[in-house]
Amino acid sequence: MAFDQERRQELRELFVSFAETRDERMRAELIEAHIGLAEYLARRFNNRGEPLDDLVQVASTGLIKAVDRFEPERGLEFSTYATHTIVGELKRHFRDKGWAVRVPRRMQELHLRLTTLVSSLNQDLGRSPTIPEIAQAAGVSEEEVLEAMEAGQAYRFTSLDAPVPGEDAGGSLAASLGEEDDSMTGVEHRVALSPLIAKLPPRQQKILHLRFFEGLTQSEIASRLGISQMHVSRLLARSLAQLREDATEE
Amino acid sequence: MSDEVQLVMPADPEFLRLARVTAMGLASRLQFTIEEIDDLRIAIDELVFGLIGTKGRPGQVTMRYSLLDSGLEVRGTGAFEDGVPTAGLTELSELILDAVADEHELSPDGDRPTFRLLKRRSAV
Repeated sequence: MAFDQERRQELRELFVSFAETRDERMRAELIEAHIGLAEYLARRFNNRGEPLDDLVQVASTGLIKAVDRFEPERGLEFSTYATHTIVGELKRHFRDKGWAVRVPRRMQELHLRLTTLVSSLNQDLGRSPTIPEIAQAAGVSEEEVLEAMEAGQAYRFTSLDAPVPGEDAGGSLAASLGEEDDSMTGVEHRVALSPLIAKLPPRQQKILHLRFFEGLTQSEIASRLGISQMHVSRLLARSLAQLREDATEE
Repeated sequence: MSDEVQLVMPADPEFLRLARVTAMGLASRLQFTIEEIDDLRIAIDELVFGLIGTKGRPGQVTMRYSLLDSGLEVRGTGAFEDGVPTAGLTELSELILDAVADEHELSPDGDRPTFRLLKRRSAV
């Protein structure tokens, strides 16, 4: 993570320009230039029960916060400032997700298995399956199915969906990585209802809109977006938790 | 049929999971589909948070789950010690509850705010 003198100076200047212009391209370059630091710090928190990929995403969110909040005129090195922010984000992840981290691997795996199973049962039955039907098909008890459902809400499956704080209010890490998203069409009026919704990643905004404003079922949303019903369920739960968290902070 | 289950829990979001899991278990007995159970879970979150706020408050919430022929009725009653008025439901919460519950109401008045939720089961 060591830059040569010239590159370091270049990045300093870029930070000064970014602080003035808030230019998206500069922001992306600054994030990209320091992503190695996020990965390095994420690895230091490895083997504590969370997948490394998730930790890298959490660390990346910390890095993005650091890039957005860094004030170069204060004379602090960015790496010092960012390390503090990223480690803070990783610690907060473990603290906030205390219960989540303790979800047994067996339950995480069952949840993932059920994701596929529920989709095929949906197709076979032509309707959403009941818990006894899922339990029978999976060869597990009803209690285990319910536990796996609950585990799915607690476990941070795809931190890539986590919103990125800062100037780019509607963006997500996935979006900032260049993933195309056509889900912003026709969803304008929900923003008027709650500006907090606008802070969610576009796909989560879309799902909230379809479920609560247009009254589509989770299965209908799943088939429209090409994802599983249980994934829709997770994203809904996460969105509502995020809205609540943001409302608390306001 | 009208069996009833009661749960008394601290008015703290940490314990909300118990309220959800109880509802899920009972709904499963009533042959709710997985999507209906998910709706129920969302509804309980919204209504309990409507009573206790997002950070919780000193006191308790009593949950009463009634297994009806038509579905599951959940009543919540807060007993709080902070003397703070109950915030109730936001416009967004109301909208969410309209989508996920068949009937819902929250009365934030007085020392013992209450809510009621009815989730009907579809004919499986």
